[in-house]
Amino acid sequence: MESWALGRPPCGACAAQFSVVRERTRRLVALYGQLILRVAPRKVRVLEGSMGSHAADDHHHELPFDQWPEDKWTGSASLGKIGMWVFLLSDALTFAGFLIAYGILRGGSEQWVMPGEPQEFGINFTAGLTFLLICSSVTMVMAYAATVENDRKSALRWLLVTGMCGVLFLCGQAQEYFGTFAVLFHHHGLIADGLIFGNSHRASTFYLITAFHGLHVLTGTVYIFVMAFRTYLGKYEGGNYNHIELCGLFWHFVDLVWILVFTFIYLIPA
Amino acid sequence: MTTDTSHVHINRKEYWVIFLLLFVLTVLEVGVVFVPGIDKMLLISALVGMALVKACIVAWFFMHLSHDTLSIRNGIAAVMALPFLYAAVLIADGLWRLMWTQL
Repeated sequence: MESWALGRPPCGACAAQFSVVRERTRRLVALYGQLILRVAPRKVRVLEGSMGSHAADDHHHELPFDQWPEDKWTGSASLGKIGMWVFLLSDALTFAGFLIAYGILRGGSEQWVMPGEPQEFGINFTAGLTFLLICSSVTMVMAYAATVENDRKSALRWLLVTGMCGVLFLCGQAQEYFGTFAVLFHHHGLIADGLIFGNSHRASTFYLITAFHGLHVLTGTVYIFVMAFRTYLGKYEGGNYNHIELCGLFWHFVDLVWILVFTFIYLIPA
Repeated sequence: MTTDTSHVHINRKEYWVIFLLLFVLTVLEVGVVFVPGIDKMLLISALVGMALVKACIVAWFFMHLSHDTLSIRNGIAAVMALPFLYAAVLIADGLWRLMWTQL
């Protein structure tokens, strides 16, 4: 080991042993590769030509993702779309865990609203935020439609409107927590009202769930602006809509989660 | 790269109808909270029911589950059924306790 550490070449016996190990590893990888490729569904096998040893004469198997044959189980859904759904499902289960924990704490509490805390979270203001997210969902779907129809200008416009909705939502949440725009709304925020993270189950679950959702809105907003920039660069011309569809999936999921959070956290009365 | 988009059906009217439906359901949700003297159980059931309908509408129409294969839909539904099952067990447990304390 020391000779390796000093950077000297290994002795002849070591080198011979090493090459044997390397050869065995290579064979093992090749064997498993073959097994996986034989067992894997058609879509992966299409790529075999570019990965296996027959690459030279199998170039006609290398197709762009959107021209792959329809899969028996997943149809024409791209691998990216399936990946996004798997991610969204794991995310949905995280939110479900938070909401169920909230439900257990709230259902089992003797007293939910502690003295000194605001009685409610301002339903009218949050209903406005909900409306904003629903609007942004429909503008996102319009951006998707425009991209499918190869209308770059319109797609860019709709994406920017969607991104602005996300920014407005984040501003709204800042106002709700900290009273950032107290001049406009005459409300100095829930923290000023005495709803402090860690002081009660109600406050902790409220901030945990809404802030976790807020992080998703932040991510989605950045995602949308990146997609808008790439649309501006002309990356999604010719009906190359896959990335916009993935972005849309994420954004609609953020909207979907907010619909549930709005109901469970804000609307259900004490 | 050009892509064959002929198999993608864009129905803008459907999107706007769904948007309207979501808006109306949101107004109903906020409205039903302010109905004076409404039974609490009824209120909570109505709110949760409307929220679930809204969530399903978003997933079905905006997230294009309507265009996906049955396998994808079933896979997603199977995973999402788990937290609902858990919640149902917890709610049943809560009701069971409530019943015993009131006896």
